[in-house]
Amino acid sequence: MDMVNANWLDANMCAAFGAILYKVERKTNTVNLVNLQKGVETILSKNGFLSHYGREKKLDTYGTTIEYKMFKRQEDQSFASYVEKNLVGKGIPKMSQGLRKKFFESMFEIFSNAASHSRTKMGIFSCGQFFPRMNHLDFSVTDLGVGIQQNVNEYTRQVLTAEQAINWAMEGNNTTKVGQIPGGLGLKILREFIIMNQGKIQIVSDKGYWELSDGKVYMKAFSEPFPGTTVNIEINTADTNSYCLSSEIRSEDVF
Amino acid sequence: MNGPITVRVFAIVGNGFCVASDDGQKVHDQIAIALRDGKKVNLSFLNVESLTSAFLNAAIGQLYGEFSEEQIKAGLSVKDMSNDDLALLKRVVETAKQYFKDPKRFKKAREEVLEDGDDNQNS
Repeated sequence: MDMVNANWLDANMCAAFGAILYKVERKTNTVNLVNLQKGVETILSKNGFLSHYGREKKLDTYGTTIEYKMFKRQEDQSFASYVEKNLVGKGIPKMSQGLRKKFFESMFEIFSNAASHSRTKMGIFSCGQFFPRMNHLDFSVTDLGVGIQQNVNEYTRQVLTAEQAINWAMEGNNTTKVGQIPGGLGLKILREFIIMNQGKIQIVSDKGYWELSDGKVYMKAFSEPFPGTTVNIEINTADTNSYCLSSEIRSEDVF
Repeated sequence: MNGPITVRVFAIVGNGFCVASDDGQKVHDQIAIALRDGKKVNLSFLNVESLTSAFLNAAIGQLYGEFSEEQIKAGLSVKDMSNDDLALLKRVVETAKQYFKDPKRFKKAREEVLEDGDDNQNS
């Protein structure tokens, strides 16, 4: 692949980029990335992306990358270790304890969602990047599964466009789950957190694009489909909200 | 009836990251066996660092597909949870109650529980 015209690549987007290249490779192709511009090559070497394409990994001196990695659907625990390893003790010290916990849990919710809904057999890809000057931390999770539109339309028996289907999945307690284990809360919790944090969620699935930023939803349709789903969250790391509940909950009142 | 048994989430999962639905399922299975036997369960979250709704849905939410609210209230209690985690659990419980209000889902969940029971007996 000729990268000569790529003068910038958000490093977290390696999740989506790597997923597409993985799919290409699965069709007995060999992928080589050529003519990488220096800045792009440096960041993609630091986060381990280029290690998948025959290059050496470079030291991440400032600790701003969150490694590019691929997981199987069942590897929730490995994903948890990955998040722990990549966030703790790195250059992301500004986050309060409460924000960090919320962020961890948001990433787990996204992973769980991909694992339980995508039906993918080709793994789940993730990558992140901290932008210290902008106080942003971006993190992306991509799967090559059936996409949100197919799941939602099968469940609701409607014919929603891809972006309408994403919107349905992000609203209220909507869930396409059936069976013993309930669902429908993970994305709602994520959405509430992102609004409070003044961050951003971007979702691309099939031809649909859905974004939540400044508390508002934007949607559009792409001309060509993405072969699965990618979710990107952008966290405002300068957030000073405490994320601790002011009211006490008694354990005997839970059930 | 004997005193309550303590089920330790950390011991079942093997660490403090309670994020996987599969791990939640293991916790659920222990609780469900005890409740079916008429035992009371005290579920301890001591040393748990991270919790997700996916884990709690599998561990506790799905109990509402098999047991009545009264049975759960009488038989299950939780301890060693932070206020934030209690709030998450409360939302999971409310969502589960809502989820199983749909008779189709409740019926399907019951059927799956019965099928699992048959499988266990045949194995």
